[in-house]
Amino acid sequence: MSGEFGEFHDELRTVARDLLGKTGADGVDWPLLVRAGWTGLEVPEEYEGTAATFTEVAILLEEIGRAAARTAYPSVAAGVGALSALEPDARRDTVLRETVAGTTIPVAVLGGDMVPAAGGETACAGTGGIVPTFLLTETIEGFRLSGSADFVPDAPVATTLLIPARAPGGSVRLVFVEPGAGGLRIAERQVVDATRSLGRVEAHEVSVAAESIRPFRSDIRDGLRVLYDRAALAVACDSLGIAASMLDATVEYARVRTQFDRPIGSFQAVKHACADMFVELTIARRLVSGALAADGTADRSRAVSAAKSFTGEAGVRIAGKAMQLHGGIGYTWESGIHRYLKRATLNRALFGAPADHRRVLADRYRAG
Amino acid sequence: MSGSDLAEFRDTVRRWCRAHVPAEWRTTQTGATDAEFVAFQRDWFQQLRATGYAVPHWPREYGGGIPIPEQIVLYQELAAHDAPRLVLAFVAIHHAAATLLAAGTDEQKQRHLPAILDGELWVQGFSEPDAGSDLAALRTAARRDGGDYVVTGQKVWASGAQYADWCLLLARTDPDVPKRKGISYFLMDMRSPGIEVRPIRQATGESHFCEIFLDEVRIPAANLIGAENRGWQLAQQTLGAERGLTMLELAERLGNAGFRWLVEECRKPGPLGQRPVDDAQIADRLARLEIELAGLRALCRDLVERHDAGAVGPADASVVKLYYSELLQRMTDFGVEVCGLPGQAVLRKPMSGGWESGAWVLDFVGSWEWTVPGGSSEIQRTIIGERGLGLPREPAGA
Repeated sequence: MSGEFGEFHDELRTVARDLLGKTGADGVDWPLLVRAGWTGLEVPEEYEGTAATFTEVAILLEEIGRAAARTAYPSVAAGVGALSALEPDARRDTVLRETVAGTTIPVAVLGGDMVPAAGGETACAGTGGIVPTFLLTETIEGFRLSGSADFVPDAPVATTLLIPARAPGGSVRLVFVEPGAGGLRIAERQVVDATRSLGRVEAHEVSVAAESIRPFRSDIRDGLRVLYDRAALAVACDSLGIAASMLDATVEYARVRTQFDRPIGSFQAVKHACADMFVELTIARRLVSGALAADGTADRSRAVSAAKSFTGEAGVRIAGKAMQLHGGIGYTWESGIHRYLKRATLNRALFGAPADHRRVLADRYRAG
Repeated sequence: MSGSDLAEFRDTVRRWCRAHVPAEWRTTQTGATDAEFVAFQRDWFQQLRATGYAVPHWPREYGGGIPIPEQIVLYQELAAHDAPRLVLAFVAIHHAAATLLAAGTDEQKQRHLPAILDGELWVQGFSEPDAGSDLAALRTAARRDGGDYVVTGQKVWASGAQYADWCLLLARTDPDVPKRKGISYFLMDMRSPGIEVRPIRQATGESHFCEIFLDEVRIPAANLIGAENRGWQLAQQTLGAERGLTMLELAERLGNAGFRWLVEECRKPGPLGQRPVDDAQIADRLARLEIELAGLRALCRDLVERHDAGAVGPADASVVKLYYSELLQRMTDFGVEVCGLPGQAVLRKPMSGGWESGAWVLDFVGSWEWTVPGGSSEIQRTIIGERGLGLPREPAGA
């Protein structure tokens, strides 16, 4: 990330930090975020968007992690990615426009517990090792959707659900479903991390109109994997922000907190622990940049797996180290460090645990 | 430089590597004598020189002039093709050249740069026995005597001194000022009277390092480089100058051939016919190392690019050195674990390679050659903490 984008990225980061700095525990004010252009950042100009790329969205995702902010923006960014991966048509275009305007919250229904299957392709074509958990069937009365997905980020606040399902014939389609549709149930999923909203989505014979069933663009291979990789990378960006925030807070604290008549940051044990946090964060940042740069290439999934597994672990380690170096204060509810630690542990598990991603990478070593 | 031009350059380097990297060098360089090693290194250097790949980072007028993006590609391809390293000429083409280019007189540059291309070898005379990581604590003294400086003292950990023609020497010229302010930088002819070189046998059994004893060695004043008593600053500058590219080359080697050998090791059936790679835990650790290597390589490319843009931070080189050396240690340790007892019986490793040769036990023992010298890992962490993160210094005498 250099040259002409450098300045724009810095500005985007500053604006985001400023906006997120104003938010309380209830979450980020959605209209404020819409007015700032976040929902249209990656949307082409013909749909009233800014036509930026996921690299710019990633900056916002990192800043959201840095603030441990409660907001559906990461899910909407994933939703925009899903919409952009579809063939254009009236329904899709309308949802895209409404998303930019802030009147619709589209959420791609991907279970947070989804795991890429080692060994590559599954029985279902076009998944890239991600098995759809919903099934579309065709009856005399029309199409029916059944299945479930658990730990779906922001499902409880979605106004449009984009549900990936295995269609008759074996291919994967995205199905537009309204939350109030008959047979659809969305249950809030409480987790230890209180900064996120997760839900379980269940569909029992939900009736679906043919025009709500959309194919991926013809130039997109393994559409479901594309959505999954994006969701995993978004979480990696969040963990990166958590790690950066925790390092900053710890360095700041170590500079001013004195013990034995010295700032604790002058003790080698503390200083070296901070140095290790910094090195780990630096590597995580490089891996996330690598995954962003690999978007659209054959290396995308591998780069995402590397970034997600490393950054997921780094986030937990760095937040844990921050709690340790803050001493007793760090363990208090009031310090807020626990919020980061809890969010980091959730991030590590969402969309593939580190070991899941490494299992996919390791598949290549066995041949030969 | 456009992407397609770079791709074309990559193809050119690939073709060159296929045609020129000696196929059997690992075999012939395993257990090679000193003379064979030196001959091999000289020949490899001249092959690279003939095509302009020996000193791509030098200015065009001296035989270099390859832009940074191409240099990155060059090191990537050399690593991917498991080419030998320019171990012997390393100090000459990196540190000596950077020093001469930064502070040398025209005469010094004309005398030495072409000679380096013709095979003149250099050694670094920086470290001293009692100084350790506190390099500025050096005690070797130089006093002016007419047209010469007269130097007496002792250097240690001087890599390749036994083969060197010239030495980059730091010596104290003013004992009465703070330790970093009284040091001067000299170009010393290793054939001068009063120099004695003794190789040190290392933990791996090899002798890369030497002690250099200096007894009233006369260095002509014309061989002072930079200003008198300004040697410390120059040394810092020239040490830092080439770190990016050097680390890029080492990182690419570790991530290419080094990792491939590790995967191969994991595929070898054990006593019961089981392959380690089929064990889920082994596969997981292998993947973890691959991810770390990807991070290291990206970090090094980034450092080189920022170096070119003049945007290197005060602790960036320390981050790279620390991460490389400790990852090298983790990786070779894993190799030792996987290779089992048969690996313990591998008593020799090829010369002319990197620090990862696939002779895992020797590589692991040798990995301390990275975590200790050049500022130990502890020193690097302190630099990162203080210069990178702005943490307070440890109080003096604490």
